[in-house]
Amino acid sequence: MSRDIYFDNSATTPIDPAVAQAMDPWIDEYFGNPSSMHRIGRQAREAVELARHQVAQLINAKAEEILFTGSGTEADNTAIVGLFELAGGQPFHLITSAIEHPAILETCRYLERRGAEVTYLSVDSSGMVDPEELASAFEPHTRLVSIMTANNVVGTIQPIAELARITRDHGALFHTDAVQAAGRIPLDVHVQPIDLLSLSAHKIYGPKGCGALYVRQGIKLEPLLHGGGQELGRRSATENVIGIVGFGVAADIARVEMSRESARLVQLRDRLIRGIVDTIPNAYLIGHPFRRLPGHICIGFAGQEGEAIKMLLALDQEGIAISSGSACSSNHATEASYVLKAMGFDPLRARGGLRITLGRFNTEKEVNEFLEVIPRVVDSMRTITSRAV
Amino acid sequence: MVNLPGMNCGLCGYRSCEEFAVPLASNPDLIKRCIYLSDNKLKSTHPGQKSTEIKTNYCSGETHQSCVSASCGRQSDTVKVTKNKTEWRDSLDRDFDFYLDQFPEDPGPREVIIPHNPMLTRELEIQKGEILIGRPLGMSCGCPITHCGIVHTVDHRTGVITWFVTGPLDPREKGFKDMGYYIAEGYEGLVTESRVDIKLGMRYFFQPRRCMLNWRHSGLVNYVNRTPDGLQVRVEGLWIG
Repeated sequence: MSRDIYFDNSATTPIDPAVAQAMDPWIDEYFGNPSSMHRIGRQAREAVELARHQVAQLINAKAEEILFTGSGTEADNTAIVGLFELAGGQPFHLITSAIEHPAILETCRYLERRGAEVTYLSVDSSGMVDPEELASAFEPHTRLVSIMTANNVVGTIQPIAELARITRDHGALFHTDAVQAAGRIPLDVHVQPIDLLSLSAHKIYGPKGCGALYVRQGIKLEPLLHGGGQELGRRSATENVIGIVGFGVAADIARVEMSRESARLVQLRDRLIRGIVDTIPNAYLIGHPFRRLPGHICIGFAGQEGEAIKMLLALDQEGIAISSGSACSSNHATEASYVLKAMGFDPLRARGGLRITLGRFNTEKEVNEFLEVIPRVVDSMRTITSRAV
Repeated sequence: MVNLPGMNCGLCGYRSCEEFAVPLASNPDLIKRCIYLSDNKLKSTHPGQKSTEIKTNYCSGETHQSCVSASCGRQSDTVKVTKNKTEWRDSLDRDFDFYLDQFPEDPGPREVIIPHNPMLTRELEIQKGEILIGRPLGMSCGCPITHCGIVHTVDHRTGVITWFVTGPLDPREKGFKDMGYYIAEGYEGLVTESRVDIKLGMRYFFQPRRCMLNWRHSGLVNYVNRTPDGLQVRVEGLWIG
């Protein structure tokens, strides 16, 4: 078996060769500390500031509104914990959704232990937050709303502009975790009145270990890291120059290629969905039919949900990497169960999702190969499941 | 004629709004593919069934009846006996008596199993530390989920294996041996939270803490040892429900 198909682009993406090429001289040739005053340091500073501009352009922000972090998770934490700390013990209510990434949910739980109040909005069966429910959730002391732009498990895209406008009307700040969405769908922090937005480089064909937080001009956050005062005192630590350079180039490519790439991925995605649903009678699409990320598919197999792990392993043995919405009694359990449960799935069906996420380097040939393999794999499961499907 | 938003986002499957306008002219239903224009319309086209809101259910204080009325009168020092707790309901709203936790030093819940064909233990040359997958079939447990785990001990004479149930990452990354089906014979673990005092020889409903389906199980407690960490128990004669 020589096949090697990577359909797990929501977990991470391979580094684009152009990104790797841009990062290469910063590994050894240019090693300066951006805070140094000499020429070698200034070179690094220029590179970081160019990347800041490139990342800002991706969401139509100003360069000075971009704060580099070590990850998307750190960006989320910086936004939420930073605002909580700034409140200095005043009543703090924040609103989020039940299907956020653990980087948000676990941070909210941490703040609950520290006295914050959190409202978790429900979602409908396609994973959508209801703007009316948000509008009715505000309290006098609501300071922040945090709702992801697109969900990492089912790919559903939220009506972010509307949610952000409602939040602004109620005098709170709006944060969105756009880690899955950035570079895949257009984001404009002015058209969509977003105050804080989290990004991650490795989801857009950049390196791991590099994220960013957009902070609208004028918004103050208590920093999580204290030290040398880098990033305008908002995140002390010597900048990850190599990663930041890669992030900038990755953002640039994503912005330029977005519409063409999205259209291509939507066509591949819909072809894959049709191919699966038409040939496997018990297959069903999870999530919204259209309001989903371009390359994102979440699919279940009725009556075989318990075998999701086995399907994943069987596909892995066929050289196809996808993700399961399930994990078995694991410390490493994925987030699928709570997302699908929040969407109204019963506990068994909530374990049965397979996540197939296409990306820049996937081809029609790979989609065709997958469509050849998947009926065989699903059929092989029938020997160990009820035939009544 | 619909005014398209001019975002040229590609999410409709066309590279630009201009391109999209061509098929849209002959098939107006395609408008649902534009997420910017169909925000509200889609809700009526695809009515999402509202899921149950996440909320905390506070216990009414009623005493739930379990399969066993266990009241030996001797309170354990290490087991917190809590009667009025909403957690004593599984995902199907059935009551149970205690949570079964894994031992802290174990990588996952400890389970005593036997492959449905016990000869497999020898045929597959199953050894300590190896990764197995299989599904608990039949009367013993009947869980529909394929389980994955790491072998702790093997008895090649009887085919009985003790393993730690972990997750799919290990088999995916390191390979695995496939048992097909197995029978879950017993669980070993710690009880730190219970709504009854647990007695040797009694059958209880319990919830394995890491059960993915949050389904209650029942079983006979045939080993009890009070330790500073909690009540060590072995539970056999397992059923789900």
